[in-house]
Amino acid sequence: MIRNAAALFALILAVVLQTSVLPLHVAGPFKPDLLLVAMVYLALRGPVAQGAFLAWTLGLIKDVFSGLYLGLNAFSFLIIFLVITSISDLLYAESGELFVVTVSAATLACVTANLVLLLMLTYTPGITYSMAAGLLPHLLANAFAASLVTLLPVFTSPQEVI
Amino acid sequence: MEIFKKIGFVILAGSAILAALIFYSLNIPHKRSANIVERGVQMVFAPVMKPAARVSGFFEDAWDNYLDLVGVRQENLRLRDEIKGLNARIVSAGEAVIANQRLEKLLGMRGSVREPTLTVSVVGEDLSSWFRTVVIDQGSSSGIAEGMPVIAADGVVGQIVKVAPTTSRVLLLTDHTSGIAATIQRSRARGVVKGKGQGLCSLEFTTRDEDVKVGDLVITSGIGGVFLKGIPIGEVTMVKRGEYGIFQTVTIRPFANIAHLEEALVVLRMPHD
Repeated sequence: MIRNAAALFALILAVVLQTSVLPLHVAGPFKPDLLLVAMVYLALRGPVAQGAFLAWTLGLIKDVFSGLYLGLNAFSFLIIFLVITSISDLLYAESGELFVVTVSAATLACVTANLVLLLMLTYTPGITYSMAAGLLPHLLANAFAASLVTLLPVFTSPQEVI
Repeated sequence: MEIFKKIGFVILAGSAILAALIFYSLNIPHKRSANIVERGVQMVFAPVMKPAARVSGFFEDAWDNYLDLVGVRQENLRLRDEIKGLNARIVSAGEAVIANQRLEKLLGMRGSVREPTLTVSVVGEDLSSWFRTVVIDQGSSSGIAEGMPVIAADGVVGQIVKVAPTTSRVLLLTDHTSGIAATIQRSRARGVVKGKGQGLCSLEFTTRDEDVKVGDLVITSGIGGVFLKGIPIGEVTMVKRGEYGIFQTVTIRPFANIAHLEEALVVLRMPHD
Protein backbone atom coordinates (compact mmCIF):
# COMPACT_ATOMS: atom_id res chain seq x y z
CA MET A 1 0.00 0.00 0.00
CA ILE A 2 2.73 2.41 1.02
CA ARG A 3 4.82 1.38 -1.98
CA ASN A 4 1.90 2.03 -4.32
CA ALA A 5 1.28 5.42 -2.74
CA ALA A 6 4.97 6.25 -3.06
CA ALA A 7 4.94 5.15 -6.70
CA LEU A 8 1.87 7.33 -7.39
CA PHE A 9 3.52 10.27 -5.65
CA ALA A 10 6.69 9.74 -7.71
CA LEU A 11 4.60 9.66 -10.89
CA ILE A 12 2.79 12.91 -10.05
CA LEU A 13 6.11 14.49 -9.09
CA ALA A 14 7.66 13.42 -12.39
CA VAL A 15 4.79 14.91 -14.42
CA VAL A 16 4.81 18.18 -12.47
CA LEU A 17 8.59 18.42 -12.71
CA GLN A 18 8.52 17.79 -16.43
CA THR A 19 5.65 20.12 -17.30
CA SER A 20 5.93 23.02 -14.88
CA VAL A 21 9.32 23.07 -13.17
CA LEU A 22 12.01 21.89 -15.56
CA PRO A 23 10.89 24.04 -18.54
CA LEU A 24 11.64 27.13 -16.45
CA HIS A 25 15.20 26.06 -15.75
CA VAL A 26 16.20 23.78 -18.61
CA ALA A 27 16.44 24.62 -22.31
CA GLY A 28 13.72 22.89 -24.35
CA PRO A 29 15.60 19.96 -25.94
CA PHE A 30 17.34 19.13 -22.66
CA LYS A 31 14.09 18.23 -20.91
CA PRO A 32 14.45 14.66 -19.64
CA ASP A 33 11.64 12.17 -20.21
CA LEU A 34 11.14 11.04 -16.64
CA LEU A 35 8.18 8.84 -17.56
CA LEU A 36 10.35 6.92 -20.01
CA VAL A 37 12.97 6.45 -17.31
CA ALA A 38 10.26 5.15 -14.99
CA MET A 39 9.03 2.78 -17.67
CA VAL A 40 12.53 1.34 -18.23
CA TYR A 41 12.95 0.89 -14.49
CA LEU A 42 9.64 -0.94 -14.44
CA ALA A 43 10.67 -3.13 -17.36
CA LEU A 44 13.92 -4.15 -15.68
CA ARG A 45 12.56 -4.66 -12.19
CA GLY A 46 8.79 -5.20 -12.39
CA PRO A 47 6.51 -8.13 -13.23
CA VAL A 48 5.51 -8.39 -16.87
CA ALA A 49 1.71 -8.53 -16.65
CA GLN A 50 1.09 -5.51 -14.41
CA GLY A 51 4.16 -3.77 -15.75
CA ALA A 52 2.90 -3.87 -19.33
CA PHE A 53 -0.33 -2.15 -18.31
CA LEU A 54 1.59 0.36 -16.24
CA ALA A 55 4.00 1.08 -19.09
CA TRP A 56 1.05 1.70 -21.40
CA THR A 57 -0.50 3.96 -18.73
CA LEU A 58 2.72 5.92 -18.35
CA GLY A 59 2.77 6.48 -22.10
CA LEU A 60 -0.86 7.52 -22.00
CA ILE A 61 -0.13 10.05 -19.25
CA LYS A 62 2.68 11.43 -21.38
CA ASP A 63 0.27 11.74 -24.29
CA VAL A 64 -2.17 13.68 -22.15
CA PHE A 65 0.48 16.34 -21.61
CA SER A 66 2.21 16.14 -24.97
CA GLY A 67 1.24 16.70 -28.58
CA LEU A 68 -2.11 15.99 -30.09
CA TYR A 69 -2.16 12.25 -30.47
CA LEU A 70 -3.46 10.29 -27.51
CA GLY A 71 -2.00 6.78 -27.61
CA LEU A 72 1.18 7.60 -29.53
CA ASN A 73 3.56 7.31 -26.60
CA ALA A 74 1.37 4.71 -24.92
CA PHE A 75 1.93 2.42 -27.90
CA SER A 76 5.66 3.17 -28.07
CA PHE A 77 6.13 2.64 -24.34
CA LEU A 78 4.32 -0.70 -24.45
CA ILE A 79 6.42 -1.97 -27.35
CA ILE A 80 9.66 -0.87 -25.68
CA PHE A 81 8.55 -2.37 -22.35
CA LEU A 82 7.84 -5.73 -23.95
CA VAL A 83 11.18 -5.73 -25.76
CA ILE A 84 13.09 -4.89 -22.59
CA THR A 85 11.25 -7.43 -20.45
CA SER A 86 11.85 -10.11 -23.07
CA ILE A 87 15.59 -9.67 -22.70
CA SER A 88 15.73 -8.52 -19.08
CA ASP A 89 16.36 -12.09 -17.85
CA LEU A 90 19.60 -12.04 -19.80
CA LEU A 91 20.68 -8.75 -18.26
CA TYR A 92 22.13 -7.84 -14.91
CA ALA A 93 19.26 -5.55 -14.01
CA GLU A 94 20.86 -4.22 -10.82
CA SER A 95 23.69 -2.60 -12.73
CA GLY A 96 23.52 1.19 -12.81
CA GLU A 97 25.53 1.43 -16.02
CA LEU A 98 23.24 -1.03 -17.75
CA PHE A 99 20.24 0.99 -16.63
CA VAL A 100 21.68 4.16 -18.19
CA VAL A 101 22.47 2.30 -21.41
CA THR A 102 18.97 0.79 -21.49
CA VAL A 103 17.36 4.20 -20.96
CA SER A 104 19.46 5.61 -23.81
CA ALA A 105 18.46 2.75 -26.09
CA ALA A 106 14.82 3.13 -25.04
CA THR A 107 14.98 6.86 -25.83
CA LEU A 108 16.23 6.13 -29.33
CA ALA A 109 13.58 3.45 -29.76
CA CYS A 110 10.82 5.73 -28.48
CA VAL A 111 11.77 8.59 -30.79
CA THR A 112 12.00 6.19 -33.73
CA ALA A 113 8.66 4.57 -32.93
CA ASN A 114 6.99 7.95 -32.49
CA LEU A 115 8.44 9.21 -35.75
CA VAL A 116 7.34 6.15 -37.69
CA LEU A 117 3.83 6.36 -36.25
CA LEU A 118 3.59 10.09 -36.94
CA LEU A 119 4.81 9.75 -40.51
CA MET A 120 2.55 6.79 -41.19
CA LEU A 121 -0.64 8.01 -39.62
CA THR A 122 -0.57 11.81 -39.44
CA TYR A 123 0.32 14.84 -41.48
CA THR A 124 3.12 16.54 -39.57
CA PRO A 125 5.55 18.02 -42.07
CA GLY A 126 8.93 18.94 -40.61
CA ILE A 127 8.60 16.73 -37.54
CA THR A 128 11.53 14.58 -38.72
CA TYR A 129 13.85 17.58 -38.65
CA SER A 130 12.63 18.67 -35.20
CA MET A 131 13.03 15.19 -33.78
CA ALA A 132 16.46 14.72 -35.32
CA ALA A 133 17.62 18.12 -34.08
CA GLY A 134 16.42 17.45 -30.55
CA LEU A 135 17.49 13.81 -30.35
CA LEU A 136 21.03 14.18 -29.01
CA PRO A 137 20.17 16.65 -26.22
CA HIS A 138 17.14 14.51 -25.34
CA LEU A 139 19.33 11.41 -25.22
CA LEU A 140 21.88 13.12 -22.99
CA ALA A 141 19.20 14.49 -20.66
CA ASN A 142 17.57 11.06 -20.32
CA ALA A 143 20.92 9.37 -19.68
CA PHE A 144 21.67 11.97 -17.02
CA ALA A 145 18.26 11.49 -15.39
CA ALA A 146 18.81 7.71 -15.47
CA SER A 147 22.20 8.08 -13.83
CA LEU A 148 20.56 10.10 -11.06
CA VAL A 149 17.95 7.38 -10.58
CA THR A 150 20.72 4.84 -9.98
CA LEU A 151 21.76 6.91 -6.96
CA LEU A 152 18.35 6.57 -5.33
CA PRO A 153 18.05 4.04 -2.51
CA VAL A 154 15.10 2.41 -4.29
CA PHE A 155 17.40 1.41 -7.15
CA THR A 156 19.84 -0.41 -4.94
CA SER A 157 17.08 -2.27 -3.08
CA PRO A 158 16.87 -5.88 -4.30
CA GLN A 159 13.06 -5.98 -4.03
CA GLU A 160 10.86 -6.13 -7.06
CA VAL A 161 8.67 -3.08 -7.70
CA ILE A 162 4.85 -3.25 -7.34
CA MET B 1 46.97 63.31 85.39
CA GLU B 2 43.94 62.40 83.42
CA ILE B 3 42.92 65.99 83.10
CA PHE B 4 46.33 66.92 81.63
CA LYS B 5 45.98 64.18 79.07
CA LYS B 6 42.58 65.52 77.99
CA ILE B 7 43.80 69.14 77.86
CA GLY B 8 46.90 68.04 75.96
CA PHE B 9 44.79 66.25 73.37
CA VAL B 10 42.55 69.30 72.91
CA ILE B 11 45.58 71.55 72.51
CA LEU B 12 47.17 69.13 70.04
CA ALA B 13 44.02 68.83 67.98
CA GLY B 14 43.47 72.57 68.06
CA SER B 15 47.05 73.16 67.00
CA ALA B 16 46.70 70.68 64.16
CA ILE B 17 43.51 72.30 62.97
CA LEU B 18 45.12 75.72 63.27
CA ALA B 19 48.16 74.55 61.36
CA ALA B 20 46.02 73.07 58.65
CA LEU B 21 44.09 76.28 58.47
CA ILE B 22 47.26 78.33 58.29
CA PHE B 23 48.62 75.93 55.64
CA TYR B 24 45.44 76.30 53.69
CA SER B 25 45.39 80.06 54.07
CA LEU B 26 48.98 80.27 52.98
CA ASN B 27 48.20 78.26 49.87
CA ILE B 28 45.22 80.22 48.74
CA PRO B 29 46.62 80.91 45.31
CA HIS B 30 47.57 84.39 44.50
CA LYS B 31 48.97 82.96 41.36
CA ARG B 32 47.83 79.63 39.91
CA SER B 33 51.23 77.95 39.65
CA ALA B 34 51.89 74.73 41.59
CA ASN B 35 54.04 75.03 44.67
CA ILE B 36 56.83 72.70 45.62
CA VAL B 37 54.59 70.30 47.52
CA GLU B 38 52.18 69.92 44.65
CA ARG B 39 54.97 69.45 42.17
CA GLY B 40 56.69 66.90 44.37
CA VAL B 41 53.58 64.82 44.93
CA GLN B 42 52.67 64.98 41.29
CA MET B 43 56.16 63.86 40.30
CA VAL B 44 55.90 60.90 42.65
CA PHE B 45 52.49 59.81 41.37
CA ALA B 46 52.89 60.62 37.69
CA PRO B 47 54.60 57.35 36.62
CA VAL B 48 51.86 55.34 38.31
CA MET B 49 48.93 57.46 37.24
CA LYS B 50 49.54 57.23 33.52
CA PRO B 51 49.48 53.41 33.24
CA ALA B 52 46.66 53.30 35.75
CA ALA B 53 44.68 55.66 33.55
CA ARG B 54 45.44 53.52 30.52
CA VAL B 55 44.42 50.31 32.27
CA SER B 56 41.34 51.98 33.60
CA GLY B 57 40.52 53.24 30.10
CA PHE B 58 41.03 49.74 28.71
CA PHE B 59 38.67 48.24 31.22
CA GLU B 60 36.17 51.01 30.65
CA ASP B 61 36.27 50.38 26.89
CA ALA B 62 36.03 46.63 27.42
CA TRP B 63 33.04 47.08 29.64
CA ASP B 64 31.37 49.46 27.21
CA ASN B 65 32.08 47.10 24.31
CA TYR B 66 30.78 44.18 26.29
CA LEU B 67 27.60 46.11 27.01
CA ASP B 68 27.34 46.92 23.33
CA LEU B 69 27.90 43.28 22.38
CA VAL B 70 25.09 42.06 24.57
CA GLY B 71 22.24 41.39 22.12
CA VAL B 72 24.35 42.03 19.01
CA ARG B 73 23.93 38.46 17.80
CA GLN B 74 20.17 38.70 18.15
CA GLU B 75 20.22 42.09 16.48
CA ASN B 76 22.40 40.73 13.71
CA LEU B 77 20.00 37.87 13.08
CA ARG B 78 17.06 40.24 13.14
CA LEU B 79 18.78 42.58 10.68
CA ARG B 80 19.65 39.67 8.40
CA ASP B 81 16.02 38.62 8.42
CA GLU B 82 15.04 42.18 7.68
CA ILE B 83 17.50 42.31 4.76
CA LYS B 84 16.12 39.04 3.42
CA GLY B 85 12.59 40.36 3.75
CA LEU B 86 13.51 43.64 2.06
CA ASN B 87 15.32 41.82 -0.75
CA ALA B 88 12.29 39.60 -1.27
CA ARG B 89 10.10 42.70 -1.35
CA ILE B 90 12.40 44.35 -3.90
CA VAL B 91 12.32 41.24 -6.10
CA SER B 92 8.55 40.89 -5.78
CA ALA B 93 8.11 44.61 -6.46
CA GLY B 94 10.26 44.28 -9.59
CA GLU B 95 8.27 41.22 -10.60
CA ALA B 96 5.02 43.10 -10.00
CA VAL B 97 6.23 45.97 -12.18
CA ILE B 98 7.13 43.59 -15.00
CA ALA B 99 3.84 41.70 -14.61
CA ASN B 100 2.02 45.02 -14.61
CA GLN B 101 3.66 46.01 -17.88
CA ARG B 102 2.81 42.65 -19.42
CA LEU B 103 -0.79 42.79 -18.25
CA GLU B 104 -1.11 46.39 -19.41
CA LYS B 105 -0.08 45.32 -22.89
CA LEU B 106 -2.46 42.37 -22.69
CA LEU B 107 -5.24 44.74 -21.65
CA GLY B 108 -4.45 46.89 -24.65
CA MET B 109 -4.84 43.85 -26.89
CA ARG B 110 -8.05 42.92 -25.07
CA GLY B 111 -9.47 46.32 -25.86
CA SER B 112 -8.77 45.87 -29.54
CA VAL B 113 -10.57 42.52 -29.75
CA ARG B 114 -14.27 42.88 -30.36
CA GLU B 115 -15.16 39.55 -28.75
CA PRO B 116 -15.31 38.49 -25.08
CA THR B 117 -11.98 37.25 -23.83
CA LEU B 118 -10.63 35.39 -20.82
CA THR B 119 -7.22 36.05 -19.33
CA VAL B 120 -5.30 32.85 -18.63
CA SER B 121 -1.91 31.95 -17.21
CA VAL B 122 0.45 29.35 -18.59
CA VAL B 123 1.03 26.64 -15.98
CA GLY B 124 2.88 23.98 -17.94
CA GLU B 125 4.63 23.03 -21.13
CA ASP B 126 4.60 20.04 -23.41
CA LEU B 127 6.27 16.94 -21.98
CA SER B 128 8.17 16.26 -25.17
CA SER B 129 10.63 18.49 -26.96
CA TRP B 130 9.17 18.30 -30.46
CA PHE B 131 5.54 19.16 -29.90
CA ARG B 132 4.68 22.75 -29.09
CA THR B 133 1.78 22.95 -26.66
CA VAL B 134 1.27 24.68 -23.33
CA VAL B 135 -1.14 24.08 -20.47
CA ILE B 136 -3.25 27.01 -19.25
CA ASP B 137 -5.02 27.40 -15.94
CA GLN B 138 -8.61 27.65 -17.21
CA GLY B 139 -10.87 25.03 -18.71
CA SER B 140 -14.40 24.22 -19.70
CA SER B 141 -15.74 25.49 -16.37
CA SER B 142 -14.62 28.97 -17.47
CA GLY B 143 -16.28 28.64 -20.86
CA ILE B 144 -13.28 27.50 -22.86
CA ALA B 145 -13.89 25.07 -25.70
CA GLU B 146 -11.79 23.31 -28.32
CA GLY B 147 -10.90 25.45 -31.29
CA MET B 148 -10.97 28.82 -29.54
CA PRO B 149 -8.16 31.16 -30.55
CA VAL B 150 -5.52 32.23 -28.05
CA ILE B 151 -3.68 35.53 -28.38
CA ALA B 152 -1.06 37.40 -26.38
CA ALA B 153 -0.23 41.07 -26.12
CA ASP B 154 2.02 40.88 -29.17
CA GLY B 155 -0.05 38.64 -31.39
CA VAL B 156 -1.40 35.19 -32.06
CA VAL B 157 -0.35 32.37 -29.73
CA GLY B 158 -2.34 29.40 -31.00
CA GLN B 159 -5.53 27.51 -30.57
CA ILE B 160 -7.20 25.49 -27.83
CA VAL B 161 -6.94 21.79 -28.62
CA LYS B 162 -7.77 19.86 -25.44
CA VAL B 163 -10.06 21.05 -22.69
CA ALA B 164 -10.47 19.71 -19.16
CA PRO B 165 -12.73 21.29 -16.51
CA THR B 166 -9.96 23.37 -14.95
CA THR B 167 -7.11 23.33 -17.47
CA SER B 168 -6.70 23.38 -21.23
CA ARG B 169 -3.98 22.76 -23.73
CA VAL B 170 -3.05 25.27 -26.37
CA LEU B 171 -1.49 24.22 -29.66
CA LEU B 172 1.09 26.91 -30.33
CA LEU B 173 1.39 28.39 -33.77
CA THR B 174 4.98 27.09 -33.94
CA ASP B 175 3.86 23.44 -33.71
CA HIS B 176 4.19 21.38 -36.89
CA THR B 177 0.47 20.60 -36.93
CA SER B 178 -0.66 24.20 -36.51
CA GLY B 179 -2.11 26.11 -39.45
CA ILE B 180 -3.52 29.64 -39.44
CA ALA B 181 -4.97 31.45 -42.43
CA ALA B 182 -2.94 34.61 -42.90
CA THR B 183 -2.41 37.66 -45.06
CA ILE B 184 0.58 39.87 -45.75
CA GLN B 185 -0.68 43.25 -44.54
CA ARG B 186 1.07 45.34 -47.18
CA SER B 187 0.36 43.35 -50.33
CA ARG B 188 -2.66 41.33 -49.13
CA ALA B 189 -0.94 38.14 -50.33
CA ARG B 190 -2.55 35.12 -48.71
CA GLY B 191 -1.22 31.90 -47.30
CA VAL B 192 -1.30 29.56 -44.34
CA VAL B 193 1.08 30.07 -41.42
CA LYS B 194 2.42 26.66 -40.43
CA GLY B 195 4.66 25.90 -37.48
CA LYS B 196 8.24 24.85 -38.12
CA GLY B 197 9.19 24.01 -34.54
CA GLN B 198 12.24 25.81 -33.12
CA GLY B 199 10.16 28.97 -32.54
CA LEU B 200 9.61 29.79 -36.22
CA CYS B 201 6.78 29.51 -38.73
CA SER B 202 6.46 29.48 -42.48
CA LEU B 203 3.90 31.01 -44.78
CA GLU B 204 2.80 28.27 -47.11
CA PHE B 205 0.72 28.14 -50.27
CA THR B 206 1.79 31.64 -51.26
CA THR B 207 2.37 31.57 -54.98
CA ARG B 208 5.66 32.73 -56.52
CA ASP B 209 4.15 35.81 -58.10
CA GLU B 210 2.72 37.14 -54.83
CA ASP B 211 4.50 40.21 -53.44
CA VAL B 212 6.22 39.20 -50.17
CA LYS B 213 9.26 40.99 -48.77
CA VAL B 214 11.44 40.63 -45.70
CA GLY B 215 9.99 42.78 -42.89
CA ASP B 216 6.38 42.45 -44.05
CA LEU B 217 3.79 42.16 -41.32
CA VAL B 218 1.76 38.96 -41.34
CA ILE B 219 -1.76 39.15 -39.91
CA THR B 220 -4.68 36.75 -39.61
CA SER B 221 -6.93 36.79 -42.63
CA GLY B 222 -10.05 35.67 -40.79
CA ILE B 223 -10.60 32.92 -43.36
CA GLY B 224 -11.65 29.70 -41.72
CA GLY B 225 -13.51 31.43 -38.96
CA VAL B 226 -11.09 30.57 -36.15
CA PHE B 227 -9.18 33.81 -35.74
CA LEU B 228 -10.58 37.28 -36.11
CA LYS B 229 -9.24 39.24 -39.04
CA GLY B 230 -6.24 41.50 -38.55
CA ILE B 231 -4.52 40.04 -35.46
CA PRO B 232 -0.73 40.28 -35.86
CA ILE B 233 1.05 36.96 -36.27
CA GLY B 234 4.64 37.83 -37.05
CA GLU B 235 7.19 39.33 -39.36
CA VAL B 236 8.65 37.92 -42.55
CA THR B 237 12.33 37.15 -41.97
CA MET B 238 13.23 35.27 -45.15
CA VAL B 239 11.78 34.89 -48.64
CA LYS B 240 13.08 32.30 -51.12
CA ARG B 241 11.85 31.83 -54.65
CA GLY B 242 13.35 28.87 -56.43
CA GLU B 243 13.58 28.53 -60.19
CA TYR B 244 10.91 25.89 -60.19
CA GLY B 245 7.76 25.28 -58.19
CA ILE B 246 4.50 27.09 -57.73
CA PHE B 247 5.04 28.44 -54.24
CA GLN B 248 7.69 30.54 -52.56
CA THR B 249 9.29 29.75 -49.21
CA VAL B 250 8.53 32.38 -46.59
CA THR B 251 9.85 32.18 -43.04
CA ILE B 252 8.09 34.09 -40.27
CA ARG B 253 9.20 35.03 -36.78
CA PRO B 254 6.11 35.15 -34.52
CA PHE B 255 5.56 38.36 -32.54
CA ALA B 256 4.31 36.54 -29.45
CA ASN B 257 7.10 35.53 -27.10
CA ILE B 258 6.22 31.85 -27.25
CA ALA B 259 9.26 30.62 -25.32
CA HIS B 260 8.49 32.79 -22.31
CA LEU B 261 4.73 33.02 -22.49
CA GLU B 262 3.14 33.66 -19.11
CA GLU B 263 -0.27 35.18 -19.77
CA ALA B 264 -2.59 35.06 -22.74
CA LEU B 265 -6.15 35.82 -23.78
CA VAL B 266 -8.56 33.15 -24.89
CA VAL B 267 -11.10 34.63 -27.28
CA LEU B 268 -14.40 33.12 -26.16
CA ARG B 269 -15.68 32.63 -29.63
CA MET B 270 -16.43 29.31 -31.19
CA PRO B 271 -14.87 28.80 -34.61
CA HIS B 272 -17.30 29.45 -37.47
CA ASP B 273 -19.49 31.62 -35.20
